[in-house]
Amino acid sequence: MTARESLFEGDKLKVEEAPPSLQRDLIEGLRLGFIGIAIMLAAAFFFSGVVHPLFALGSVEETVTDVLTRLALLAMPFVAYIAAASVARRYSARDVPRALALALTCSLVLFALISAGHYALGTGVFAPRPSLQMSLSQTDAGIRVDAIVPGGAADTAEMQVGDLITAIRRDAVDLAAFNKRLGQSEDDAPLRLRFIRGGEEMQETVRVVLQTDKDLRRLTPGLALGLVFTAIIIFLPGHWAPYIALVGLLSPLLVGYFWVIVATFSYRTEGLVPLDSNDNFGGFTLKNWESIFAGDIAGLEFNIWPILMTSLAIAVVMTFVVLLVSSMAGYALSRMHFPGRRFFLSFTLILHGFPAITLLIPIFIVLLRLKDVPFVGEFIGFNTIGGIALVMVAFQLPLGVWLMKGFFDNIPWDMERSALIDGASRFRTYWEILLPQIRPGLLALGIFAFIGGWNAYIIPATYSIGTGLSNLPVFLNELIDETAPVDWNQVAAVGLFQLIPIFIFFIFAQEYLLNIYAGGTKGSS
Amino acid sequence: MEIRIDNLTKKFGDVVGVEDLTLHIDDGEFVAFLGPSGCGKTTTLLTLAGIYKPTDGLIRFGERVVNTVQPKDRNIGMVFQSYALYPHMTIFQNIAYPLKLKKAPKSVQNERVRQVANVMGIGDLLDRRPGQLSGGQQQRVALGRALVKEPDVLLFDEPLSNLDARLRLTMRGEIKHLQKNLGITSIYVTHDQVEAMTMADRIAVMSGGHLQAFDAPDELYDRPKTRFVAGFVGNPPMNFLDVEVSQANGGFLAQADSIRLPLGKTRGEAAAARAGSVTMGIRPEDIQIADDGEVDGEIFVVEPLGREDLIDARVGPHSFILLADTEARRRAGERVSLKFDMTQAQFFDPQTERSLLWHQ
Repeated sequence: MTARESLFEGDKLKVEEAPPSLQRDLIEGLRLGFIGIAIMLAAAFFFSGVVHPLFALGSVEETVTDVLTRLALLAMPFVAYIAAASVARRYSARDVPRALALALTCSLVLFALISAGHYALGTGVFAPRPSLQMSLSQTDAGIRVDAIVPGGAADTAEMQVGDLITAIRRDAVDLAAFNKRLGQSEDDAPLRLRFIRGGEEMQETVRVVLQTDKDLRRLTPGLALGLVFTAIIIFLPGHWAPYIALVGLLSPLLVGYFWVIVATFSYRTEGLVPLDSNDNFGGFTLKNWESIFAGDIAGLEFNIWPILMTSLAIAVVMTFVVLLVSSMAGYALSRMHFPGRRFFLSFTLILHGFPAITLLIPIFIVLLRLKDVPFVGEFIGFNTIGGIALVMVAFQLPLGVWLMKGFFDNIPWDMERSALIDGASRFRTYWEILLPQIRPGLLALGIFAFIGGWNAYIIPATYSIGTGLSNLPVFLNELIDETAPVDWNQVAAVGLFQLIPIFIFFIFAQEYLLNIYAGGTKGSS
Repeated sequence: MEIRIDNLTKKFGDVVGVEDLTLHIDDGEFVAFLGPSGCGKTTTLLTLAGIYKPTDGLIRFGERVVNTVQPKDRNIGMVFQSYALYPHMTIFQNIAYPLKLKKAPKSVQNERVRQVANVMGIGDLLDRRPGQLSGGQQQRVALGRALVKEPDVLLFDEPLSNLDARLRLTMRGEIKHLQKNLGITSIYVTHDQVEAMTMADRIAVMSGGHLQAFDAPDELYDRPKTRFVAGFVGNPPMNFLDVEVSQANGGFLAQADSIRLPLGKTRGEAAAARAGSVTMGIRPEDIQIADDGEVDGEIFVVEPLGREDLIDARVGPHSFILLADTEARRRAGERVSLKFDMTQAQFFDPQTERSLLWHQ
């Protein structure tokens, strides 16, 4: 028998589990919260103190770093709450009161800390706000001045208690509009107020002062929001987190689409809210859509159907040719050895990275000459759909060829050999055995090509000058007149109209795109 | 179908796949190509299939030279390691594909596919797709697809490598049985010498693009013509040892360090004819642990195989693999005495690696 030796001294893998202690959990939650605050502060500093100066060094004017800094500061308390609540989450299933007590205590402390920071730095709720240093209330006759700070801005302007404010300059205001106007004013900006004093209409100019409001009641909404947020975090099912994050990240896009849809059905919008002529919610209309089909937008007369057909023709021709050429070239590059193969591969990659815009004029000349070639020129010369599609196809091909080559590379050689031995010709193998297996790839490339062709602007706009030949994007640009005011709701309607086929396309293609064949081959080829 | 390969060479640029291969395969014979990875066996197979064109040499199917004949015109069936089933077709369509390409009428296709599927035991799977089948079922489909067009030659490219050990055993028997029944000339590429030994009528052992030996399994095992064949065929592999063979006291003696082994006359003379040291080979089953052994050694590792124990015994700097009865319950560290059955020993020229006993 050989002696058995242990490689390790003692058994260190056993960890003694201590009974849960509220105090320790509290400290851990707070510590995580502090770390969250520290990280967000560091992020804010990184954007404002590091990235922004770097841009400034290069004389780049931008507001992105500013937005990111604000975002980091805005998200800071929430990150802290989430970090602190993560400790409480481990009790949320079995001991709800404990989890709640823990999380709410933590968020209370963190909120107090952050508020103290705001107070000390004069930021957040304690940031100076524009003020006229008087308190107001809404009455039927106008905005009543209830109190005036002695020696303040209103007092200096000789406003009196009991004055009824009716307008700023000539714009009639209620209290909400008044506060909004005030909130947008800068320091020392003059506000000329119309008011009624003793039945007599008067005017005074009051200068805005920036003033820090130290009323602690202003903290209440923030605190309530923090506590509710923390409570939600504790009980939120963990698997929802990715969806919430996704929706959060997608929200700018969603808001954009929402606006487009709302705008097409209304006369005008403010933000996302459609308004009628009296600034009230409402004012829905179908006129934006009607005028598309009626062929008259702001005096511009047109027929939408030929434009639509042009778009469709470019997209379809492009999809068809790109798929055909890419799949054949991809097959050859993947499966065959021929002189210049490597050169061709690297050259197409370079072409793919080549800025197409720089070729606009040379290609213009080429198309112009092509126009003079008998017969061929009728189809692919300047000012023809074929010519436009040809150029677009050429720009799309490098990507397509590489994509297809990649897909063919993934099919084992044995599959092809097997088909050849089964009695198929090379072309039949390509057509019946290989192409069906790269169907997801063909569809992806087809959608790329179709959308590329459908949304094409620069090339159709350049190579169809001075003709009635225009596709939807080119037409869309014609709507944006340089001299007359643009009806954006009308533009949105045409934009949405252009989107419809893409939507339909996706609804049907989605299924195929997700359908990736499973199994059939195993091991290496 | 008789296959005659004469002086076949296949090169990929400067890389030699196979060189100067001459091999005659009889009608209805089951031949295995055995060798380590990259020895040229699959290259030879694909050249026979018509996927590769020979650089040099002749391939004849019967009387017809097929060097430049397209794969589809050779009437061969092939089974791949990866099965190579068409994932977008049902099992029925997979098996029927060769018939469809031959433009066989629908009724004939239907009948033949069902027949083959029943023989292969996959008759109830015809509506499924390859992805829904297990590895063993996929391999049966692949075999069925190869058989359905009644090929003159069947080619197998390591068809069982992706199956688990148990299934491999079953399929081995089934393929052999099927081949004997149908009498189709078959070539079976494998790196598993057990597969080759159990299934093939003759084995072509290949290494580095060259044919090392082409013989019946027993012949290869008992009379290996090169050291490579001796080492590659047999499991566990043969033990090799460099020895000096000398004549002493009317007998012969093979000697290496402290090991001294008496030799019979035929083997002794053949080995002694080569001046200097020679390579001696001895199979694990020809070494016994016995009380009256000639050599003393120590057991280094014991690997229980169930039926017997695989023992690595060390004698000085030399190591010997041998098999022992599990009943003996050998332990590592134990000192034992080894008895060599020198009537089974093989001798090779260390330079040419050719056998000193079995000249051609």
